[in-house]
Amino acid sequence: MSKVRRYEVTAAGDFASVLAVLTDHLGLRLLSLDEGERSWLDTLTGTLEQAETTLEFRRPSGEGTPSLTWAAEGRVLVYDPCVSSTPPVQSSDLPESAAFERLAALVEGGQLVVGPTVNSQIAVLASLDDEEKTTARVIFDRSETIDGVSLPMMLEVLPLRGYEDEASSLEKKLKRSVALSASATPMKELALQSGSSGRASGSGRDGAALVPTMSAARAWRAVLQTLNDSMVQSFSGVLSGSDPEDLHAFRVAVRRIRTILQDGDDIVDPESRDRFRHEYRWLGDVTTPTRDADVHLIEFPELAAMLPPSRREDLATFSEVLLRHRAECHAAMTVELRSMRRAEFGTAWLSFLADDDAWTGCGDLADEPVLRIVLRRVEKANRQLVKNGRKISKKSPAIALHELRKEGKRLRYLLECFAPLFDEKALVTILHPLRDVQDVLGQFQDTEVQASALLELAGELEGADDHSALMAIGGVIEQLGVRGADARASFSKTFGRFDDRKVQRAFNQLEPRKKKR
Amino acid sequence: MKVLATYNIKGGVGKTATAVNLAHVAAAHGNRVLVWDLDPQGAATFYFRVKPKVKGGGKAIVRGSLELGDVIKATDFDNLDLVPADFSYRHLDLWLDDAKKPLVRIRRALRQVSEEYDYVFLDCPPSISLTSESVFRAADALLVPTIPTTLSLRTYEQLDRFVEENPDMVRELKILGFFSMVDRHKRLHRRFMNELRTAHPEILDATIPNSTDIERMGVHREPVGAYGKGSKPARAYEALWSEIQTRL
Repeated sequence: MSKVRRYEVTAAGDFASVLAVLTDHLGLRLLSLDEGERSWLDTLTGTLEQAETTLEFRRPSGEGTPSLTWAAEGRVLVYDPCVSSTPPVQSSDLPESAAFERLAALVEGGQLVVGPTVNSQIAVLASLDDEEKTTARVIFDRSETIDGVSLPMMLEVLPLRGYEDEASSLEKKLKRSVALSASATPMKELALQSGSSGRASGSGRDGAALVPTMSAARAWRAVLQTLNDSMVQSFSGVLSGSDPEDLHAFRVAVRRIRTILQDGDDIVDPESRDRFRHEYRWLGDVTTPTRDADVHLIEFPELAAMLPPSRREDLATFSEVLLRHRAECHAAMTVELRSMRRAEFGTAWLSFLADDDAWTGCGDLADEPVLRIVLRRVEKANRQLVKNGRKISKKSPAIALHELRKEGKRLRYLLECFAPLFDEKALVTILHPLRDVQDVLGQFQDTEVQASALLELAGELEGADDHSALMAIGGVIEQLGVRGADARASFSKTFGRFDDRKVQRAFNQLEPRKKKR
Repeated sequence: MKVLATYNIKGGVGKTATAVNLAHVAAAHGNRVLVWDLDPQGAATFYFRVKPKVKGGGKAIVRGSLELGDVIKATDFDNLDLVPADFSYRHLDLWLDDAKKPLVRIRRALRQVSEEYDYVFLDCPPSISLTSESVFRAADALLVPTIPTTLSLRTYEQLDRFVEENPDMVRELKILGFFSMVDRHKRLHRRFMNELRTAHPEILDATIPNSTDIERMGVHREPVGAYGKGSKPARAYEALWSEIQTRL
């Protein structure tokens, strides 16, 4: 099979001037010149990439209908110039043809998700022999991400089978006429690497692939699948217990899944939603003691360092208590994670995610465009957070701050999980102060939890007369109290930065503005 | 992979136009298609603007010393490739005659690319010879364009008889006759079509009209569907392809 040869155009000049060199100077025949948005599609597991094929959905910027192209190494396997205005999701959405049947077989019923999306000008040119027969195709591509980041201009030479020598000769001519440097990176990868691929970040491995116009049910499903992927990714690490980061990542994914399910009313099937929210709450709960124990161990040295040197040595025996406690928590957690309940619920969850029927007509808002729904839910979550945040005073009980933290998490997870949908600038404006608020609230709550847990664990010290150790622990708890008080004292100022006019105005700017080209 | 040979003992009945246009339609539907131009005149090769030359020689393919895949040329159309004609194919009968098991030579050559293509169209020279018998062995179906005239009727029946009399040679071969170069204004054409359909109800319903659009293939050097999309002959080939698929 003839391989595509790829170059980055390093020549000075814009698209039009380079195109003029290709047509006028090199005599290539312009076969087509298209402008518009194009997205790469793949399954969540990257089936098409693994098969070294690409599936492109193109939406022309002017008149004209969208098209779908499945290609392998530049060779078009099938092209349909007249498909639905939205990218296909299921195999059943693909146009009817023998090649699309092969694609459907490759996808094996998996869902197609929108990967990186760019705005492109693409010229397809042909190099002809003296019979006017095409011997090689040249694809000249100028793209920018939908955030307006320009990607390098790329030029691909696609030799036609049986005409490899002619293609080599064309390459030599091209190199003489246009400044080129060989590149191994296809445009899809460039789009992914551009950093603004968040709008459609890959095949679900780094984030859910979302577009504002997709249905809420599709988007919710894509986000949950992505979160499931990251949960699964850290699961073996959670069981081995060698790195606390695995458990942390696992719990974050679990909490996010719960939030997305919570905010999935009228979108996710209500019965499944209730069931899995309940199960994920349980899953979160069974991992909490181990995470708390991890935090004790991680932070203990730092807290101990705040004590006078003479008292630090007294904590040696208590460190052993912490280690033992952590091992016990981990053992208990792994029993739960390997339980029948976990296995049954995990299987049901995966079936739910994979079952197309479970996501069809599952709620009144399921078919609404996702952006509209998410914006509404973000607005509601923000309104609640601001309202309750303003009520917090120096006299507010710890539980009020704890509840506020949960409300902040809900808002933050909504924003982060659906980040590709939003205007990046507005999102950054909101997330930065919101994370600060969450940090302060987290610090306050952690100190509360840690202090009471340490007090309880202190009772496990062998020898009730180990007064020096108890005194040292008392010192640590005192430090925790200071930290908590500091955190609480800084809440008002930190929350004020979030409850600021500029930040709150950014909520109205989350909907991406259409770019003028 | 299905192998379809456009065949008629008589020349000038639209064999090459059938092979080229049906191959183009099949490829446009997303099938991976190969046309093997076995006619030394190289008309199919001409229509695809490919030079009528097989590097290494057609003889080497028949002998098996050259892989068929090595001489394939991509056409200008996605999923549509060609094994070009070579003037030396005029000796094809002699090469086959010299070879051991001549009747399976074409089939063997095609087996090498069986994973790469869904359909292969063999555009055959007009004759009954060792080449045609080798094609009969390789093909799943013969597509027989037939002009509704007395002579064509005779040749169609000759072929039919040949197939009946040589069951071992042709095995599962399907004969898919259809009317080609039909001029519905001619009473004679209409009469012969009626008579032949009565005598041979297996003849396909789709017909290919006599059209200047098809003749213009030689000017455009591409299939009708490429320059006359939606034209009457282009639609006729679409209909013919649909019907052929139901018969395979």
